[in-house]
Amino acid sequence: MTNAIETVNLTRRYGKTLALDNLNLQVARGSIYGFIGPNGAGKTTTLRLLAGLLEPTGGEIRLMGERLRADGGAGQHLVGYMPDFFGVYDDLRVWEYLDFFARCYGLGGKRRQSTVDQLLDLVDLTAKREAFVQSLSRGMQQRLCLAHALVHDPPILLLDEPASGLDPRARVELRELLRTLRDMEKTIFLSSHILSELAEICTEIGIIDSGRMVVSGTVDAVRRQLQGGNTLRIRVLRAAEQAEALVRDLQPAANLPEVVQVRRDEADVHLLYVELRQANEEQQAALLAHLLVQGIPISDYHMQAEDLEHLFLRLTEVT
Amino acid sequence: MKAVRLFPPQLNPIIVKEVRIRMRGVRPYAILTLFLVAMAVAGYGIYLLMLRQASFGGMVLSFQVGQSLFSGLALCAVLLMVFLAPAMTSGAISGEREQLTYEMLLATPLRPARILWGKLVAALSYIFLLIFASIPVFSVVLMFGGVAPKDMVKTLLLLLVTAITYGTIGMFCSALVRRTSQATVLSYVFILLLIGTTTMASVLWSYFNAPTGQAIPPQLLYLNPFSALISIVTITPDAGSGMFLGGDVLNLPLINQLSIGVVHYGPNGPLVLPIYRATLLFYALLTVTLYWVSSHMVLPRHRRRPRWGDLRFVLLLAGMIGLIWLVRDWWFVLPPQNP
Repeated sequence: MTNAIETVNLTRRYGKTLALDNLNLQVARGSIYGFIGPNGAGKTTTLRLLAGLLEPTGGEIRLMGERLRADGGAGQHLVGYMPDFFGVYDDLRVWEYLDFFARCYGLGGKRRQSTVDQLLDLVDLTAKREAFVQSLSRGMQQRLCLAHALVHDPPILLLDEPASGLDPRARVELRELLRTLRDMEKTIFLSSHILSELAEICTEIGIIDSGRMVVSGTVDAVRRQLQGGNTLRIRVLRAAEQAEALVRDLQPAANLPEVVQVRRDEADVHLLYVELRQANEEQQAALLAHLLVQGIPISDYHMQAEDLEHLFLRLTEVT
Repeated sequence: MKAVRLFPPQLNPIIVKEVRIRMRGVRPYAILTLFLVAMAVAGYGIYLLMLRQASFGGMVLSFQVGQSLFSGLALCAVLLMVFLAPAMTSGAISGEREQLTYEMLLATPLRPARILWGKLVAALSYIFLLIFASIPVFSVVLMFGGVAPKDMVKTLLLLLVTAITYGTIGMFCSALVRRTSQATVLSYVFILLLIGTTTMASVLWSYFNAPTGQAIPPQLLYLNPFSALISIVTITPDAGSGMFLGGDVLNLPLINQLSIGVVHYGPNGPLVLPIYRATLLFYALLTVTLYWVSSHMVLPRHRRRPRWGDLRFVLLLAGMIGLIWLVRDWWFVLPPQNP
């Protein structure tokens, strides 16, 4: 099966600034792809390129296997685009807003009416049908804007920073909505500079920095791929210095792990992070036993999966 | 791929949206009311002025009242159009940019040219509503008589063309700059140049030219809608009657000033140059040109790159220029040389 979105050496320059540098992106159909990067990394540029609002300086874009032409053309029917800063028309009712965009896509008569009704139902705004757009809360406007991107039933949805500026409840609602859309077999490509927003909902993520893809794949694969350091989190009741010294001076033996680095938590003096060369449960058990034998009172001992937040920071620092 | 429906042709979505937004709330009715009140007050004022003249012993005939009313009301209508039309359109494109909806529109299959067209039609339809709603006010003139229906039709035509041209100027400025406030200022500067310079030139001409009293070249006044209006509403007596009873030209002070260069007094009585013909033609030319440039300005990228659509504009403009050349005897009228 062809990918929903595929870019080959996609490059975009703004004058002398290189915004996107040979981006190769593959997004499988039916996935929720989280596109993560710090501000100015090239996320919005990529989304605008995919939506046909920008022309690439080099490379090409394929949507559902079709090559995106320079003039947009068929691409506009394949994607629904929700910009970062979306606009609403004052003095337009909620249903009229959707009706307007349905008209823009050439939907006529009854079909337009039923589409508007279905979409209002989907984004849970049926009760607000007759309300003016400007009277909606930010979260509702966001959902309405998402609905506008769906009027022509596109297989691909491009959402630029969909969760920005939403309160926690609205965020949860958005997440639910995205799950529903995935069940409708839409491919969703969304960007964010906040990783935790995406970690739970995305099936795949890509991390971009300075116009270059740093890493891409399923969430677990990315995590695995990047877990060069396996960190043990050890919490002691007392004698933290002693414990630190013990671990640091650990002689690598057959059954003991090789320690790369030991550091104390800055805020919590009883917390130690021990970075091991490689994860090995036998060795971890041996290390625990070793520490206990030395009389270190340990209250917590576990392997710390590096969270995406740290990973992200580490990655974007390096590049 | 789902194609845009071609048959039955779909109403431009922009028009539907604009009319929904524009006709909502108190504002459209307030503007309409103010417009009609302004017209009615102007009409009443002119009527009072005529009565005063009569009370000072002047001879004021019914048809003179009719003619003065007509020219005064028409002047008022053109003045309001000149200021209202750009105000209606100067937010057309820049407003969408400011509201951040322009990107969303461009992401749809709606072409920028269609956005532009929809905006213009929606704004002008409201202006046309104002013009047609003011027809009953104009009909007061018929109670006094003195104005031929032909002149009324010509005035209506001039009003419509002025509205379209000034609306297009507003839209052009809106497409040119990013902010609506800038676009509004820019369009009024544009209009001020168009009207102010032509009026100034005609006034200064008489001061700086020797011998004094030499006729102003009417070309200076072609782009001034007020001069064009004067050339329509100034009613000269039949050449055969040999009697000039002093129509509106003498009665309304402002009109008297604006008539410099349009009305020429010769030995055979006053002669009105039909400047409005050139005005209509050149406004049409200006409108098409500005619309053409605007259609490039609304593009998201490659604004300056020539496109196939330009061919249509080139052909249209060439056709118009050809037509203007063909009918040059109709509009290119020079004043009689003073002996």
